[in-house]
Amino acid sequence: MSMSQEEIEALMSGADDIQVDDVEEETSEDETLEAVAVEEEAIEEINVDEILAGIDGIVDDEEEIEEINVDDILAGIDGIVDDEPVTATESSNVSEEISEMEQKINNNQYPLPVSDENKVVNQLNEVADDSEEKASQIFDVLSFILDENADISKYNKNMADFIEKQATLLESLSVKFPNVNVFTENLENAKELLDQSKELSSKVDAENNKVFEAMELMQYHDINRQKIERVMAVIKKLSSYLNGIFEDESDKPEVQIAKHISGDSSDIVDDTDIESLISEFSN
Amino acid sequence: MRILIVDDSSTMRRIIGNVVQQLGVPKEDFDEAEDGVVAWKLFQDNNNYDVVLTDWNMPNMNGLELVKTIRAVDKKVPIVMITTEGGKGEVITALKAGVNNYIVKPFSAEILKEKLDGLVKG
Repeated sequence: MSMSQEEIEALMSGADDIQVDDVEEETSEDETLEAVAVEEEAIEEINVDEILAGIDGIVDDEEEIEEINVDDILAGIDGIVDDEPVTATESSNVSEEISEMEQKINNNQYPLPVSDENKVVNQLNEVADDSEEKASQIFDVLSFILDENADISKYNKNMADFIEKQATLLESLSVKFPNVNVFTENLENAKELLDQSKELSSKVDAENNKVFEAMELMQYHDINRQKIERVMAVIKKLSSYLNGIFEDESDKPEVQIAKHISGDSSDIVDDTDIESLISEFSN
Repeated sequence: MRILIVDDSSTMRRIIGNVVQQLGVPKEDFDEAEDGVVAWKLFQDNNNYDVVLTDWNMPNMNGLELVKTIRAVDKKVPIVMITTEGGKGEVITALKAGVNNYIVKPFSAEILKEKLDGLVKG
């Protein structure tokens, strides 16, 4: 339950009348609502394929990836030497193993290895940190534009001041020497330049306003970072809960489990199969 | 006018700093802190701030704790909470802790200007 600025103002004016009981009741209610909202957000399903299909430059790995010969690339770089010679068979075995593992992962047959790069909280943390760093860089760019615009405004004002003085001078000269056309012509030019200077000034102001607008919008970076942190907190709590519920505190050794038990849907032999197998082996 | 800006996001500190500069406060007249601990140290070292602008959710010491810590020694300095926490309960909690005003992110530069003007004139 988010409050508008007007509601906050109303609260500010009536803050003295607030009872502590009200605070606790409201806070508890808010926490419940917030917890429900967090669960709903976390559950939301994302169709990654649809998102990827909508982004230019994203290609299907299986269709488009060109084969890269790493050896050729390394051979072209000075100073790269093989630590130890790798035979063609060894290299082929390793790539086959990797390919097999990747295939299993893609078919959801194999869980992702528990490495730092696959831990969800770590990944979210990296996204939040990276986003903060990039936001800071964007802010540098916007600040640079504002600084440059300030210089442009300063130079423009200096030029406008000078042209205005020239215009005053030319006006006096054109009144005093009405037959000298060059004074009248230059006076017109000076007035035109002054108009352009005013236009430039208003364009710079408009650009500054847009930059300030962009800076304001960058608050969403902080808001989104906090949303990511909220998801991280939910995952951590869930992980801790699951660890607690699945924790085995008994000191019983790990039992060997049966692979096929009566009642399983497939691969269960019946009496006929057994008899047939026995007779087969007897022969 | 000396201002202390407290927020764990460097981007937010810069956004707030920018608005403050638009109000005519030179850069050297405001300090920044990334959490309550750093802010409290700055507050003790230079006890001459006219306004404190603080976020709520921060590591080490959060904004609410900072407000309570400051209020224990200084009842007068105006404190504005600028935070994503938009719940009624949070606003009341902050007011009870001693903040003078409360702004929910995202905010417009105009809102911050109005609140600062009000505090300075009030």
